[in-house]
Amino acid sequence: MAIADARSTPMSHAPLPAARVAIEAAFHDEGYGYDVFGLHPPTLARVLALGAPLYDRYFRVSSSGIEHIPSDGPVILVANHAGALPLDAAMLCFDVLRRTEPPRIPRAIADRFVPRVPLVGTLLSRCGAVRGTPLNVARLLARGELIAIWPEGTTGPAKRFRDRYRLQAWRVGFAELAIRYQAPIVPVSILGAEESWPVAGRLGVRWFGAPYLPIPAWPLPLPAHYHLRYGAPIYLRHRAGEADEPAAVAAAAARVRDVLARQLEDMRAARRGIFR
Amino acid sequence: MRVMVTGASAPLGAAIVERLLAEPGVDRVLAVSREAVPPRVHPRLFQHAADLAHPREVHDLIHGAATLHGIDTVIHAAQHRDPHDAGGGAHTQTVESARWLVLACAAHATIRRFVHRSFADVYAQRDTTPTLIDEDAPLELDPAAPQWLRDRVEADLTVRAHHTDRLQIAVLRLAELLARDTGSQLWDYLSSRICLRPAGFDPIINVLALDDAAAAFATAARSSATGAFNIPGRDTLPLSCAIAQSGRSCVAVPSSVIAPLYKLRRAVTGLAFRYDLNVARFHFGGMVDGGRAARELGYQPRARVVWPRPWWRVLLQRLAETRC
Repeated sequence: MAIADARSTPMSHAPLPAARVAIEAAFHDEGYGYDVFGLHPPTLARVLALGAPLYDRYFRVSSSGIEHIPSDGPVILVANHAGALPLDAAMLCFDVLRRTEPPRIPRAIADRFVPRVPLVGTLLSRCGAVRGTPLNVARLLARGELIAIWPEGTTGPAKRFRDRYRLQAWRVGFAELAIRYQAPIVPVSILGAEESWPVAGRLGVRWFGAPYLPIPAWPLPLPAHYHLRYGAPIYLRHRAGEADEPAAVAAAAARVRDVLARQLEDMRAARRGIFR
Repeated sequence: MRVMVTGASAPLGAAIVERLLAEPGVDRVLAVSREAVPPRVHPRLFQHAADLAHPREVHDLIHGAATLHGIDTVIHAAQHRDPHDAGGGAHTQTVESARWLVLACAAHATIRRFVHRSFADVYAQRDTTPTLIDEDAPLELDPAAPQWLRDRVEADLTVRAHHTDRLQIAVLRLAELLARDTGSQLWDYLSSRICLRPAGFDPIINVLALDDAAAAFATAARSSATGAFNIPGRDTLPLSCAIAQSGRSCVAVPSSVIAPLYKLRRAVTGLAFRYDLNVARFHFGGMVDGGRAARELGYQPRARVVWPRPWWRVLLQRLAETRC
């Protein structure tokens, strides 16, 4: 639904989630409807509306614990990552946008090669994604935004099927910034992406700077049931100065990793089947 | 404060001179331009013609006219504006003239402050570059970069290297100054009826208004802060939106064909726009972060830019405003 329509239609019922994003979500408008990172809420609302069937009907996303996301201030969502394409990241962002009250726009931290990809880079930036550099993330946290990070980076989606739901190489930059900006970390476990569209192999071509080209196990993702769980926020009770201490940062990152791994195991044990 | 402004006949220099004359704390302004300009009567304004591409003229300017007027602050706003110039002449105008000027100022008895005009182009654009570039970001030192960019980086570094206790140096790295006859690549680009944009990319850009640029120089002249300062503008928007604001048509084409098409266009129409100078910006944006200028100089962008709209659109807009 176009935003102009959403605004001009009498609200006889609750507005669609997509329209809510453009109307209610707070963002730092630079004067032309965009923020400095390229976020454009009307585009985000359109993408949300277009992706609704995927979220509601195809993957039937169910989530719990959304109340753990504070309604304001800097927050870091830390999630596991899998799949030939980052559909898990998209479902997480959709879920946050649709379930937070008032809606908060998650700023997905994308790998550095993403802005180089034509169309994709621009579309993602309009939807709130930001190039993953420490200064970008620091700036977002400093102005109290909600960011979503996948510390496994590209190693998560690249793992073999037998390694599914085992967290891979774990970057620690998010922990440093969480300490520096006193931002709570909400661990988010995502179940379903590993089986939906696993990677069968990798081609060593470096198109647009991407580390590899994934070869999906099947041409389209399977309609696995996505389960998301937001864990209790982790407050790293460190002094801001400890953000420069490698040991403190590594310990904080490992703590978050352990919590997320446990959360994933619990969810897998409770799951009745991939498609249920 | 007695201020000498170079490049005073160009739009930016003229705006700086006007700004300084409006400030009560400025006793005298020495406006330096390459060619003699029609004299303007103002009790605090003095005009002088000097070609800064000649070391003798630079020497005579600093040790002659500047001494005579008791200048204590120099604003070096002159710049080489033709991006198609290359070789020694262009290098002299951008780098050597700045070097001669700052060296002469360092040896001068009364000059204590030097404010140099630099550019946001001096920063390297890599995939590790943050969206908002601060003053600590790496500069474009790639030997394969166009001379236009390398000269600007060299001038920036050369001037900064001459900071001493006697001579305070502030280098202002201006965002794209969107105004006519300022050497703005974007102005030239947006002046075409059809603007070619790399398909699949629509970067966020930041542009600076002439008033804000002049205000930044006036503020830097008054301040005692030294070092490099980014000077962003108030308008931050996608390139496609800037094209629309200028009333132009935007055509997205593959990046590889844009450079030859603009070369062809230059051969036909004589436009100064060079796509190779703007490749990084047209893909990834690259905006400067004005946090340091805000903190240390007290600079805040306030003015909106005037878009290079076609004359008939400007006329229609004025008619509509008159009716209102």
